[in-house]
Parts: sequence; structure tokens; C-alpha cells
Amino acid sequence: MGKFNKGKARSVPALGTASLPDIIFMLLFFFMVATTMKEVDMQVDLKKPEASQAEVLENKDMVDFVYIGFPLDANEGTEPRIQLDDQLALDYTQVGPWKLSKQREGATAFDIVTSLKVHEDVGMRIVSNIKEELRNIDAIKINYSADVRQ
Amino acid sequence: MAARKLEEINAGSMADIAFLLLIFFLVTTTMEVDAGISRNLPLKRELDPNVPIPDVHDRDILIIMANSRDELLVEGEFMLIEDLEEKVRDFYLANANGQDNNQKMPEYKRVDGNTIQASLAFYKNLVENGPKDQAEINREEMNKWEKRKATFDEIGPYSEISNSALIQLKNQSNTSYGLYIQIQDVLKKVVNDLRNEKCAELGWEEYKSLDPIDDRDKIEMLQVLVPERIIEAKIEL
Repeated sequence: MGKFNKGKARSVPALGTASLPDIIFMLLFFFMVATTMKEVDMQVDLKKPEASQAEVLENKDMVDFVYIGFPLDANEGTEPRIQLDDQLALDYTQVGPWKLSKQREGATAFDIVTSLKVHEDVGMRIVSNIKEELRNIDAIKINYSADVRQ
Repeated sequence: MAARKLEEINAGSMADIAFLLLIFFLVTTTMEVDAGISRNLPLKRELDPNVPIPDVHDRDILIIMANSRDELLVEGEFMLIEDLEEKVRDFYLANANGQDNNQKMPEYKRVDGNTIQASLAFYKNLVENGPKDQAEINREEMNKWEKRKATFDEIGPYSEISNSALIQLKNQSNTSYGLYIQIQDVLKKVVNDLRNEKCAELGWEEYKSLDPIDDRDKIEMLQVLVPERIIEAKIEL
């Protein structure tokens, strides 16, 4: 016994890891709040145009998304293709039946907004065909997806 | 002998669990915010071939054409997208003072109590006694005049751009979607700006901060004062 214990080297106490879960949980909650679930796996390449007047789309549950872009899979060719849910559509005539099949209870096709997410280099013909198809089933509410330009 | 101290629960693995959850959320979610320009397509209508399509004066239509090489033709003149905003603004405002100086741009008409009374009575009569298959269209016209009446009741006599003033978009099959959105963006911007100016004129809060439910009356009035009428031609080529 003595004040100066020179003989034995004291080991450094182990690092406290009790607060580590708290830090990770904080990160977790941040990501849970700041992000949203992915809607689909993208099958097409999308580069959305920019617009200064774009408004944030609220209430995404009541929105159907149609993606138009160049296929990521080279086997699908290089022409712009339409993606509905997780699959590439054969052509625009499938959009109408697809839209009708997605109807929610108590809402008609008229009530549900259709958001068109289109690559900026895609020609207007395919977009125009889809709009006509949607018009035929009274789904006239359209949102042209665009990134907000500051 | 003293009671043994309760041993602490080992929390070392809690971090691993939280990590797993964190990684799961990182993988399945996106940060992307969806934004875009909202538009309504025109409703599909069965047109009665016996009813003539009303004449629309050339001056009331602003034709914006975009060709397959992404060049703009506005009223037959080549134009850059940067200059489009000024042109559209001019379309709305050229005769806004009511003096009808510019014969190439739409006329403004004074709306006062008498015109509203007469038009409301006219369409009401048509809805009740006119042809049944046209009743729907006539009812819509009547609703429009009712909105005008609401506006008149609120702000008194005002001048309004010609009923048939509209903007027509024409595309070709290879016009890029990017250009189309740029055009739509310009049209939206002009209308938003003009409505904002009207708000300032009337001493209301900014157009953007109006609530779609609480301020519905105001928004409907602004739609009467600065109408947004866009039609899109079928793609020919």
C-alpha cells in the first residue's frame, strides 16, 4: 500500500458505449422523418426538367405516377418507354386500364391526380398520347413533374 | 454481507439493432420531394354537330408553336423562350386599361351590375327552357356568371379580358418535353404574377399564401380577374 504505485501500470478503462444506441436512434429518427418510401424500382432513366413555378405535390397517396424515360436495360431498346408501377408498358394504350385498376374506394379516376414524370429529352408525342388516353377516362387532373428551380 | 448490486443490462448490442434499422430505412426510402406544375385537361364532350362552334377572333388567341427542333413560333414569329414571358404578359395586359389601343391583343370588357343581371337571366332561361342536351354547357356558363357576380359584389365593377381570350399550345411529335415544361412554366409564372399584382391592388395577402380551403372565395375571384385558359392542339406531325 502506498501513494505512489509505480510497480503496476494502470489499464485505461473501457470506452463507454451505452450512449451509442442513443446516437444511432437519433440518426434513425432523422431519416424516418426526412425521407419517404420509394414508390417503385426505376426501370427507366429519368432526368426531370426544372421549373420555377413547380409546387410541391401533397398527399401522395392520392396520386398515380407514370414514368416515361429511356430504358435502363439495353435489351429494351433505346426508344422512350412508359413505366407503370414496376413494369414497362408495351404502349400508351395500357395507361387507361392501368389507371382504372388503381382506383381507390370512394374516388373516381377524376379525383386522382396523375403525375407524369418524364425525362426532359422525350418527345411530346408519347406524352400527348397518354394525356388523350387519360382524358378518355375523365382522369383530367395532371401534374407535370419538375424539379423546383430556385 | 450487503445485498449484491443488480448488474446492469448489457446495452452493447442495442447499437447494432439500431444500426440495422437505420440501414433498412436508408435503403428503402428516398429524400426526393415531388414537385410539379398542375394542370387540368379539358373534359371530353360530345359536340352537337348542329350547334355552330362560336367564332373566336384572331386577336383573342395567342398561338405558341414549338417544332421538332425545339424552336418557338409565337403568333407566327420566331421567338426565344426568354422573350416568351414578356409576350404573354403583353397578351394579358395590352388593353387592360380598357381603351382598346392594341387591335392585335384581346379586348377588355367592363363588367357591371347590368351585364351580370342580363347574362344570368339569359343563361338561367336557357338552362330551364333551352335544348336539354345543351343544358350542361349552359349551366356551366351560368356558373361562370355567378362567379362574376360574386366578384362584382366584392370589388364592384371591374374590367375583364375577353371571354374567348385563350392561349393555344401546338407541339410536334419530337418537341422535347423539357421545352414544353419551360413553356408551361412561363404561362404559370405570368398568371401567378398577375394574380399577385391583383392581390396587392386589392389589399389581400400574397396569392401564394392564400389557403385553398379558407380563402376559396378569393381564389375564385382571382380566377375570374386573371383567367388561365390554355388549350392544346393535337399533334399533327
